[in-house]
Amino acid sequence: MPAYASVVVRFDPLRLLPGDAEREVIRLAKTHGSLAPERGREVEIPTRYDGPDLLETAERSKLTVEELVAFHSGRAYRAYFLGFLPGFAYCGVLDPRILAPRLVRPRERVPAGSVAVADGQTSIYPFDSPGGWRLIGRTDVPVFDSTREPPALIRPGDRVRFVAL
Amino acid sequence: MIRIEATGLRATIQDRGRFGHLREGVPPSGPADPAAFAAAQALVGNDVDAAAIEIVGDAFAFRCDDRRIVAVTGRDVALRARDLVPGWTAAFARPGERFTVLCGERSRFAYLAVSGGIATEPILGSRSAYLPAGLGHALRAGETLPLGISRLDVERAGLSADSPDYDTGQIRAITGPHAQRFTDEADSLFFSSEFRVEPASDRMGTRLSGPRIAAREGEILTTGVVAGAVQIPPGGAPIVLLAEHQATGGYPVIATVITADLGVVAQRLPGERLRFTRVDRDRAVAALRGARATFDAMA
Repeated sequence: MPAYASVVVRFDPLRLLPGDAEREVIRLAKTHGSLAPERGREVEIPTRYDGPDLLETAERSKLTVEELVAFHSGRAYRAYFLGFLPGFAYCGVLDPRILAPRLVRPRERVPAGSVAVADGQTSIYPFDSPGGWRLIGRTDVPVFDSTREPPALIRPGDRVRFVAL
Repeated sequence: MIRIEATGLRATIQDRGRFGHLREGVPPSGPADPAAFAAAQALVGNDVDAAAIEIVGDAFAFRCDDRRIVAVTGRDVALRARDLVPGWTAAFARPGERFTVLCGERSRFAYLAVSGGIATEPILGSRSAYLPAGLGHALRAGETLPLGISRLDVERAGLSADSPDYDTGQIRAITGPHAQRFTDEADSLFFSSEFRVEPASDRMGTRLSGPRIAAREGEILTTGVVAGAVQIPPGGAPIVLLAEHQATGGYPVIATVITADLGVVAQRLPGERLRFTRVDRDRAVAALRGARATFDAMA
């Protein structure tokens, strides 16, 4: 389970003692050294920029809505890892001119397909769920489908672009 | 086949968990009380990968269309047919015989295992329900579920397993991965204080209130987490992650509850208290080995 700067390795402690697992992980990390980052695939997310927080986020950033949309859709983001919900990809980094701290009071229900920004990151909510990111748009592309292989549209290492509709 | 006649508050199919899709952000799911789940499977002679039914609240009722061995485990549970079968005891189910799972006042999660296992089609490598993403569903009265082939061993009827002491509030935990994020004072406050279980606790985690445990200034980078991790959010009220935890977390983890005690945490009722006792990794593994050996002996 990869994240920004860590990997969780699961093992059965009755088949492999924790001390042995630790030694093996250290050995693997040493022998492999650093790997070149995977190129990843290009994923395009057609986006309607009409989210409920679009105007407020633009104002907070002292940008026009057009500028915010241009900055958000103007770069390719790297998908660092997935978490929170199935298929929810933490993508970054956001143009630093977009100021989007997390909401102080998270919403109880964010609709599936919401394109959101928070703290230098951007993502798409795969399901209706509670959420504290700022909603700037939406997409009809299903980002998680359990009948698909693999089920997640975006995978760690992919390059993600939002295309304004 | 098993026919569900009543579901209680909520019943879902669970197997050990869905561990193959964590990197796609899919929570592991599986039983909130893994020890009770494993005991139920062992009592009916199923292997560890079989699926059972996790039940919340009175009164789940079912019939099997052929002969099966059934068992209910959990805290304060029993099974009623013609006679009352105590929890943690295997019973013989005649074809068509109606059984009701009784969840007492102190019950939170009950496990019904049927010999042969619940044989629904796995989704993403697991039969465990994860309702927020539409993986599986809450069971409905009137539905029937396929069962696997049963090694029917009538001798099993009456076999029983020891229930853990659910009434204890002593929870064993090892030092967490972010221990350096806490001062010695915060660490000793955590391991010496009593916490109260909050009503917002669920399959994702048990929320606690008590003395405020403060992490040092600064945030941690979001990282993968495991069941048992005790997160400390900015407010200082610990959360013990359970089966349905998110794949990643952004709060520092002060301690990790040992696998053998996860169910005792999950089964605590709102308002009940608990304390954490520090153990080392060797004792954590020994506790798990002890529990596993008991089940292996029943196989």
